[in-house]
Amino acid sequence: MSLKKSISSLKLPHYKSTAGMAPVRIPIPKEVLLPVSPMNSHSATNAEPVVQVGDHVTVGQLIAREKDRGSAHIHASVSGTVKAIENYTAAGKKALAIRIESDGKMEKCPDLKIPQPTNLDEFLQCVRDSGAVGLGGAAYPVWAKLSAAQKSHIQTVLINGAECEPFITCDHRVMLEYGDLIQKGIELLKQFLGSEEFIIGIEKNKPDAIEQLTERFKDDPAVKVLPLSSVYPQGAKQVLLYNATGKVVEKGQRMASLGVIIINVYSLVKMAEYFVTGMPMVERIVTVEGSAVKEPKNLIVPIGVTVRDLVEACGGLKEEPAKIIFGGAMMGKTQDSLDNVLLKATNAVVLMNRKDTEKTAPSPCIHCGRCVAVCPLGLNPAAFSRAMELEDEDKKAAILQKEQVRVCMECGCCSYVCPAHRPLAETNNKAIGFIRNWEKAHKEGGK
Amino acid sequence: MEKPIMSSGPHIHSGASDRRIMLDVILALLPAAVAGVVIFGVKALWLILTCVIAAVLSEFLFNLICKKKQTVGDLSAVVTGLLLALNLSANVPLWQGALGSVFAIVLVKCLFGGIGRNFANPAITARVFLLMAFTSTVAGGTLPDGTTGATPLDLIGTEGAQLPTLLQMFLGQRGGAIGETCILALLIGFAYLLIRKVISWQVPVIFMGTVFVLSLIFGGFNTAVYELLAGGLVLGAVFMATDYTTTPITLRARMWFALGCGLITFVIRWFCALPEGVSYSILCMNILAPWLEKWTRRKPLGGV
Repeated sequence: MSLKKSISSLKLPHYKSTAGMAPVRIPIPKEVLLPVSPMNSHSATNAEPVVQVGDHVTVGQLIAREKDRGSAHIHASVSGTVKAIENYTAAGKKALAIRIESDGKMEKCPDLKIPQPTNLDEFLQCVRDSGAVGLGGAAYPVWAKLSAAQKSHIQTVLINGAECEPFITCDHRVMLEYGDLIQKGIELLKQFLGSEEFIIGIEKNKPDAIEQLTERFKDDPAVKVLPLSSVYPQGAKQVLLYNATGKVVEKGQRMASLGVIIINVYSLVKMAEYFVTGMPMVERIVTVEGSAVKEPKNLIVPIGVTVRDLVEACGGLKEEPAKIIFGGAMMGKTQDSLDNVLLKATNAVVLMNRKDTEKTAPSPCIHCGRCVAVCPLGLNPAAFSRAMELEDEDKKAAILQKEQVRVCMECGCCSYVCPAHRPLAETNNKAIGFIRNWEKAHKEGGK
Repeated sequence: MEKPIMSSGPHIHSGASDRRIMLDVILALLPAAVAGVVIFGVKALWLILTCVIAAVLSEFLFNLICKKKQTVGDLSAVVTGLLLALNLSANVPLWQGALGSVFAIVLVKCLFGGIGRNFANPAITARVFLLMAFTSTVAGGTLPDGTTGATPLDLIGTEGAQLPTLLQMFLGQRGGAIGETCILALLIGFAYLLIRKVISWQVPVIFMGTVFVLSLIFGGFNTAVYELLAGGLVLGAVFMATDYTTTPITLRARMWFALGCGLITFVIRWFCALPEGVSYSILCMNILAPWLEKWTRRKPLGGV
């Protein structure tokens, strides 16, 4: 038995029926809509449109330019005509978006060329040009993450292939089908970041991926394929870091200062792809799953297609979806329409029928301690929930600060196990919002 | 098309429910209840039914009168009534049992805000109340022949007294409360709760282990075994020191809770005039529970 403290986690049903399905390309869509502003899992600041209505665009052509570390370049994902630059609202969030009517040709942008960087700065600029963002969910530009190498030496690169969320198999397929690009990505990081250790963390429920990648890298001592137990949230930043290296990012610290960065396996592949083909990020694999879909599948789709397009490619709907989720069953974000469009970091679209969305009304906390026992970070969600019921704002803030609600990553384990069906993760989210505002107000008040 | 549901994650649930947990506790108590009826006769059955019905009825009426949401469906009142009855000796008059249930549900639980809000264990508090109010009937153990008499714990302290054999102790052929004597039945219930993951093994094991080890040191092996099997130790350690609401929320604090229970039980049994201390020890530790949580708090991952 190891003396190392183990991180609490959950055994979840996997619902990964699409794991054995190689991704298939959907028919060329009639049009795509590419938001340039912060959406659910898109980049955090706006990119600036550089095309005008009526312009002819080709696949891979830059149509919106990033402004800073929070945004990423947007490239046309089909060839055709810019029909509109319009306001787009999805799931209560507003964004400017570029609508491109496809000419059905998927004509490649003639200006694209294979980048040939010679040093770190040039390499980062190329990654920046690729428009690649973190595909694990946060959608933080890949170049911005890698730029940590300008300040501190990145000894270890942790490649996240855990894919612990139920339903999603997109990264699994990527690992099976793009081994050469994973290798290319690792070579690039070796060359430009000077990293010496590469750990590919994969949950044991993907034995074929573990086997293939172990075989591929058997002669490279720098690369280690690390099988991880299939528990949730194995792929969460802190959890993966701890389980793979035993390190912890302490409060106020950045992971890079530990000499480690974590990059999602698909982000690495998308980055590497740019250095092989010169094509920026214009398409991705997405898992379409759930009880309301006729034939769940993995699809290769241009960014900006609607959920409706995806459903059509999956044989249509079995019944009306009661819930549409971008992402997995634990942390995925609900969508309000089949017309919502797929973003760069949308790894799955889950459509649930009415039965799957039935909920039990919450009842009072019975103090069973399951939320505490399951929290990967060792927090006390029951205490947050109790504090949020207090009227006195100062008291509320004092408890929330002491119990450190801000550490919470909203993985949802607490809500999942709660026998009283209390929406604990949602309450944590509200508590984080409350404490942010409270701290801001008290700073301004001179306290 | 109807508007899709907008909600925050997670979008799936383990399926656990309060009612299922309570049902598991009831199922786990059934072997002890059946054994109690077999050992002490049908009057034990009447007392069990009386306590359960009185508990459910008083919660139902309290909610009705106070215009609160009806909560009897969560089965926690059944657990309270059942636990109280199993902690009483079979010779306790039915009306006293019923009164105990009303006390447990209304005064200890409902007035503090209902399920999850009480700070003291309702069944234990009610038992202690009955012990004070009706010492003559409640304090004495009922013997398997139906008479009221000395329990093994009374006898351990008495020179030359004839103690039941260890096998009799294990199967429950000795004086005591309805549900506390048959250790075999209690262990079956314990195993069931562990399999169903309703409780963790640490609390009962630490509680019983502390009493055993201290008795071993002070009285030797034979005494320690009797101390372990006698009185309400197993019943209390498995079913009442593991109550969710009145014990700390973290396992770490719960282990300290169990240690405290064991210490106090031993001290009362060994040094005080009272023959038994399980109930008092749990009640004392109930009060300490929030502090134990505070004292044993650990730094979260990535926090301070």
